[in-house]
Amino acid sequence: MTQRNLWLRAVGFMLATLLLAVACAWLLFGRGRSPVQTDLLAMLPATERNPLAEVAAQRLAHANGNRVILLAANKDDEQAKAAARELGQLLAKDKVFASVTAELPPFDLQQLFAPYLQHRFSLLTEADRQALAQPGYDPRQALAQHINEPFVTGVGTRLQDDPFGWLQHWLEQQPWSRSPLLPEDNLLTAHRDDGSYVLVTATLSGSAYDDGIQRRALAVLDQAEHSIEHDHPGTRVLRTGALFYAATARGDAERDVHRVGLISTLGIALLLLLVFRSPRPLLLAFLSTAIGIVAATTVSVLVFGQIYLLTLVFGAALLGEAVDYSIQYLTARANAGSNWNPGQGLRQVRPALLLALGTSLLGYALLGLVPFPALRQMACFAMVGMVVACLSVFFLLPALLQTPAKPLTHVSVRGALVLQSAISRCVAGRRGILLGAMSLLLALPGWLQMHHDDDVHLLISPPSTLVAQEKQIRDVTGLGNSTQFYLVQGANEEQVLQREEALEQRLQAMTDAGQLQGWVGLAGMVPSLQRQQANQALIAPLFAQAGRTHQWLHEAGFRDADIDRLLQAWPGTPLHLQAWLKTPAATPFRYLWMGDEASGGAASLVLPQGDASNTALQQAAANLPGVTLVDKAAGVSQLFGRYRRYASLWLLAAVLLIVPVFGWRYGWRSMPSVLAPPVLGIGFTLAVLGYLHHALTLFHWMALMLVLGVGANYAVFLREGEPHVTHRPGAMYASVLLSAATALLSFGLLAFSSMPALQDFGLTLLLGIGFTALLVPASTASRISLS
Amino acid sequence: MSCMTHHPRGLLNRFAGCALLVLLLVCCSAHAQNTDLLHSIIDRLSQHSAVRASFTQQRQSPALTQAQSSSGQLLFVTGHGMLWQVKQPYQQTLALTGSRTMRIDADGHMQPVRSERGINQISQMLQGMLTGQLDAVTRQFDVQADGSAAQWSLHFTPRQSRMAQVLRGIQLDGGNYLQRIRIIMQDGTQTDIQMTDTHDAGPLSALEKHALDVP
Repeated sequence: MTQRNLWLRAVGFMLATLLLAVACAWLLFGRGRSPVQTDLLAMLPATERNPLAEVAAQRLAHANGNRVILLAANKDDEQAKAAARELGQLLAKDKVFASVTAELPPFDLQQLFAPYLQHRFSLLTEADRQALAQPGYDPRQALAQHINEPFVTGVGTRLQDDPFGWLQHWLEQQPWSRSPLLPEDNLLTAHRDDGSYVLVTATLSGSAYDDGIQRRALAVLDQAEHSIEHDHPGTRVLRTGALFYAATARGDAERDVHRVGLISTLGIALLLLLVFRSPRPLLLAFLSTAIGIVAATTVSVLVFGQIYLLTLVFGAALLGEAVDYSIQYLTARANAGSNWNPGQGLRQVRPALLLALGTSLLGYALLGLVPFPALRQMACFAMVGMVVACLSVFFLLPALLQTPAKPLTHVSVRGALVLQSAISRCVAGRRGILLGAMSLLLALPGWLQMHHDDDVHLLISPPSTLVAQEKQIRDVTGLGNSTQFYLVQGANEEQVLQREEALEQRLQAMTDAGQLQGWVGLAGMVPSLQRQQANQALIAPLFAQAGRTHQWLHEAGFRDADIDRLLQAWPGTPLHLQAWLKTPAATPFRYLWMGDEASGGAASLVLPQGDASNTALQQAAANLPGVTLVDKAAGVSQLFGRYRRYASLWLLAAVLLIVPVFGWRYGWRSMPSVLAPPVLGIGFTLAVLGYLHHALTLFHWMALMLVLGVGANYAVFLREGEPHVTHRPGAMYASVLLSAATALLSFGLLAFSSMPALQDFGLTLLLGIGFTALLVPASTASRISLS
Repeated sequence: MSCMTHHPRGLLNRFAGCALLVLLLVCCSAHAQNTDLLHSIIDRLSQHSAVRASFTQQRQSPALTQAQSSSGQLLFVTGHGMLWQVKQPYQQTLALTGSRTMRIDADGHMQPVRSERGINQISQMLQGMLTGQLDAVTRQFDVQADGSAAQWSLHFTPRQSRMAQVLRGIQLDGGNYLQRIRIIMQDGTQTDIQMTDTHDAGPLSALEKHALDVP
């Protein structure tokens, strides 16, 4: 290859890189919204077979996404209320909050309840239904009992409009009547042993996942909290809402990216400098990696439209693997000494690089088969990054590395040689077999102690302080997010409500038995027409003969004019869902109706409240047509479990895929020794994880796939490289150790990440790459002992 | 996520609970209040942990042409609630426990009258008060005491505008025991409960213990 050709290729490659860099900059910063996705729920895979269930889960997660719930708490009631008022006023000053509610608007009782009067003969509580259905029901006695109720009667509805109290009872069991928060001094307040809690809610003027909104809202909140804590000593502010979770997730991920990125960059730079004794290899190695990462980011954003936090953190760690290709080329140059020819050097490392790239791509492609958006993105990111980093070695580096280099540091080569020959001696011949058998025996108890964990907290582990605050707010107010709900589907509105009623009957039984705190569903607020007709049919006999009814009411003491009005109002009209949904009373519950979203049918959501197990909730839905329990967390956990089981099989499949490749390249006799280091590395890693009582997760298995890929790379590098450096024994192993050290520096640091999934990933790679790097001299041991 | 509303019903269905609450408070709380009289009244009442009495409830409502009257027996147990046993003009036994209202039929079979959770919150407030927090009542009402320790009256006026829209006031009269409860609503309804023959309850029957959940 001529020098001119080398430069042409390099310039072409650089131009393409510049284009990529511009595209990447535009994608990341040029558009209004950052493509970094801080909504952790968005990372979760689709778990539901029913597509509407996914829509419902998304909708529920975002229904309150832009709402912030705050509680001002103080031992002293007056202080708590004053603090809440001030908090409300301070927040309302900033435009980042579209609305802030602390003090309640004035209201008019009659206006709220008057609309229900026309439906009063269609709405009955379960207790009244049962009473009316009893054969011995005596209307005169029922009237007497109602008007003589102890203490008070006819609150909310006027006694003459509702002489039996049916509507009053029905209104009393509506969810808005059951809120643990009481309006006091115009504030929604709850009292506990440790003081008063006052509710303040605010709605953001934009998405809680919007970077700008997040920062501004948090700044305003922090300042407001600070000043009310100062003005009202002893006040605590409890907060919950998607805003806080998203901001924390972003903060954690940014910290991880900075820490992992910075430490690994510095560490790798130092190592490269020490080994190559010149800044140029260092700069080129980073250039090659940087190009890979820019390309990976660009393609990921183009393909997925956004980039997940997990991918960013993982991407920071990918440095360590992408740098391997340039290290191999740089080592070849250092080892060639004054005979260096960039084109020839490239031809020398090409088979090793291609084979290594092939095995890596194989590993990541398997990762990409998992149907998790986040994992697919990680796989896509890694594959693009690897390919481009490798291409940069083929196209860019030769032009920039035309002059010969200093040989590798003597210490590093000497050290590597000592280690390599020590290991080779240990694993050669009978001693090797004995040692292998012993280590397998030692690993056995570790394997026996392996166990599994598939919980969703692996991917989403919000800080415990936020979780504790949310729990406390839920305990005090009954408000809070739930990822468990029922999706009720039917051919039309009426069928959906009927099916809800069947479900709610079971949920009410669970509530009565104390298994559930309660439930919220539309059918409790708007019964099906069938139920309303049945209610009316229960009342009908009492109104069958107007004269008789008149007489009962008259005897009970009601005025004739009122009785006539009541009789004229009979039978009234049923309450229709669509009409009800338009009333102000329905506002907080409108999101429960999914009607418009269902194609070819109607659907609604029913939310169980309280801490019932998935099994108990599942039982409540058993054999009810059209009712599905959607439990996102459980769904994801199940999926984790399923893929963890597949992952172990995939690992085996990947090993089996590599067998013929190595067999073809190195011959069937040598194949086992090339394959042994990564396979044993995986085996020992599993044993150590077992000894550590680390519950194995899907992420451990994914990391093991990478160990296989990276470990096979090392065996290949060593095996392919040795013949070219016979003049410097140990130089090739030194380069492998360098690769391993860079990988450990980047992936290993993930073990200190804030995300449990990445911690598992990092620890496994730390162990796996460590073991494999130590075992890899075995792949050439037979050859050394032969020669 | 569920019921973020500012509806007044929550208040209203607690109202019955509130009336009961005031009664329970006054009957049993032994804790200091700002006035000496209130203090001594509470002190006096709290000496009886379980009482029985005969009651007569008179109700006048603008919706009704004549006053309604019912009478029967009541059993009040501090910290547990009340059995309200109507003998006239019909027979009915209700167990009012703060957390729920149950109807007890002739065979001792209990049936919930209302399935709402609302008064559960009252029950929590109630438990707090019975362990010495008068605050819950003074947050909801202004309390005024007249008379002497031997013959006293307590007037409760709602402090919260939402409750004041429905309730005008509550008055309690008594001596050694509570003798009379008067509840006046804004719509003009007046409920007047007179208690006579009040005495310490003595041992409770199995049914009474069961109904009020007394161990």
